[in-house]
Amino acid sequence: MTLLEERPSYPREIPEFPFMEIVPGPRPRGLLKYLTSTDHKQIGLNYLVTSFIAFLVSGLMAELMRTQLIVPNNHFVTSDVYNQLFTIHGTIMLFVFLGPFAFAGLGNYLVPLMIGAPDMAFPRFNNLSYWLYLGGFTMLMGSFLTNNGAAQVGWFGYAPLVEMIHSPGPGTDMWIFGIALTGFSGIFTAVNIITTVFTLRAPGMVMFRMPIFVWNELVTMFLILLAFPVLTSGFALMWLDRHVGTHFYTASGGGQPILWQNLFWFFGHPEVYILMLPFLGIVAEVFATMSRKPVFGYKGMIAATLAIAGLSMGVWAHHMYTTGTVLLPFFAAMSLLISVPTGIKFFNWIGTMWRGTIHLTTATLFSLGFMTMFLIGGITGVFLAQPVIDFQVHNTYYLIAHFHYALVGGSAFGAFAGIYYWYPKMTGRLLNEKLGKASFAIMMIGFNLTFLPQFDLGLRGMPRRIAVYNAGMGWNFLNLLSSIGAYVFGIGVLITVWNLYRSYRKGEIAGDNPWDGQTLEWACSSPPPDHNFEALPPIRSERPVWDANHPDMLTKVGH
Amino acid sequence: MKVESRTTLGAFVFLAIIAALYWALVEVHGHAFERSGIAMLVFSFAAYLLLGAYLLAQYFRRRRIPRPEDRFDATPEDGAGVVDYFPSASIWPAGLGAGMFTAALGGIWGIWYAYIGGIIAIGAIIGWVTESDRSEDVLPGADPEEILAGHEVPSAATQPHFHAGHGEQPAVTGGSEHTS
Repeated sequence: MTLLEERPSYPREIPEFPFMEIVPGPRPRGLLKYLTSTDHKQIGLNYLVTSFIAFLVSGLMAELMRTQLIVPNNHFVTSDVYNQLFTIHGTIMLFVFLGPFAFAGLGNYLVPLMIGAPDMAFPRFNNLSYWLYLGGFTMLMGSFLTNNGAAQVGWFGYAPLVEMIHSPGPGTDMWIFGIALTGFSGIFTAVNIITTVFTLRAPGMVMFRMPIFVWNELVTMFLILLAFPVLTSGFALMWLDRHVGTHFYTASGGGQPILWQNLFWFFGHPEVYILMLPFLGIVAEVFATMSRKPVFGYKGMIAATLAIAGLSMGVWAHHMYTTGTVLLPFFAAMSLLISVPTGIKFFNWIGTMWRGTIHLTTATLFSLGFMTMFLIGGITGVFLAQPVIDFQVHNTYYLIAHFHYALVGGSAFGAFAGIYYWYPKMTGRLLNEKLGKASFAIMMIGFNLTFLPQFDLGLRGMPRRIAVYNAGMGWNFLNLLSSIGAYVFGIGVLITVWNLYRSYRKGEIAGDNPWDGQTLEWACSSPPPDHNFEALPPIRSERPVWDANHPDMLTKVGH
Repeated sequence: MKVESRTTLGAFVFLAIIAALYWALVEVHGHAFERSGIAMLVFSFAAYLLLGAYLLAQYFRRRRIPRPEDRFDATPEDGAGVVDYFPSASIWPAGLGAGMFTAALGGIWGIWYAYIGGIIAIGAIIGWVTESDRSEDVLPGADPEEILAGHEVPSAATQPHFHAGHGEQPAVTGGSEHTS
């Protein structure tokens, strides 16, 4: 470890020799801007806004479901509608909100900024992937308008149920094609971001100086390239089963229903980490900036990310323990192994904050919320990875609570941390911190009120996906508590929505670097100009902007 | 390119180990297990072997000379020159997206949607490809002075190019009309 001392200071004004000069092409305005822009920031914003709307729509579905379950034998919605709601709720949250919000929305917006690139490697391809994504979302929502309603097969659409005789009507087909379109969009984004990271970095931005967020994006894209094609090909077989009369997944025709489960979860488990890894990167950035310290254990963090991704390819069948056709010891061992690199991440987040000057902004609070809630989600996951426990609680509300702790208390809180952290960069205005903190507090209370009782409900044997239950099961009070919590959580989210709307016009002017940030996106103006950088600070460590702004506190580099 | 190829080849090795382990355990433990996982793991490591080998080939093709972004001591001046070609706003991606969406409807309501969608998509692809005809475009390394002499003002229809700038050379490369 050596402390580099003599470094050129970073010019605060645009220097005499500009980093880039641009011959501007046509820059359409108005509606045409949204339709045709190839600017990664515009496309990223399109993704972010669309996926946040998807979050609200899908959240509304969750509120409807909780309203149905608030008292026993309720008749707020019919069983059919309830089935449609939980199917589309899960599908939209996973394929349209959580994934694309981080890996496509924030990824598009931030990856080129963080590595000092003028744009993505394939700008038009990028635009195409947004339209496919929007098409998929439209198709999923449009399926509610068909005569049989939306798909009722659950978000993983298990095999005999999705066959034509069990699920007639176009709803299920629209579900298949909606997911397939978002899947294509994900693959295109993955190709784009991997190429951008590999070939468009600024001089001096070696791989091991990229921000943790960019590394996590890169590894997420590796997973997408492995996972989504499997899902798409599985869907192709499913469509053939439904429309052409093949029997890939029907036992009656000599097919193998378990084949679909294998294909789906071979996609589905990496997908869980696709939904998780970018958010792990977001909180790492937030902790580092808000503690005014570099990320603790930078290379260990990257190694942990790679290890999580690698191991996640070998755990798919832990969703299928109860089928009796999987190699239990292998999948249990692999699943338990994942907790090791995840533990390293927790250790490094705490190490980043340790002895730092911690600024408790809303983004920090959401990141702390992420850390604690994701810990609960992760540890209950360790329980579920044991076949002996999984056989008891498989497909009960215990499982529901587990993955909502991982994906709502985890990923969605990470998404809110990202919103509060990067909103000033995207709009030039700060979000209101008071509203933000109120939103966080209410969301935290509501979230725990919703999902903590569900662990108990699961242990008391309440299965998932039931629309009505009898009064005598001992589930009444816990369900009531859970539903009230869901409304509280909704109020917390709405406060942030109001904050986003209000601060867009009336927020405090942020300036280029409101948080004293460390990574390259804080070196350009807010919002960044076309093609991003007029000048770049010299890149001599993983936090070039910090080094430029604090020449007396240079980052230690150990290469 | 070294770290890039090592990362992807590392993914290949890791997945190959998992695949071998899984395959062996399935064979040892008997016949009741679904074998599709083996195939998927094999194709996974093959995919990363492909990517890693390509990156390694690029590394050797450049005679192991690090690019500016691979050097710890590089400055913006080291990256001087045309960075890349970045097309400006284009309607064709939206067109192709609409075509693919319509074609997907063909799987739901009848194959004739797919014909319409296919026609839209092919039209969009033709528009897209001809839009980026760069056969008469400036190549990296061309002298900007010479290029500027041929054009009075870079027209608004010109596609943007980038110079990671250095010194007083006019870091402007005009595209020709063909690039619009």
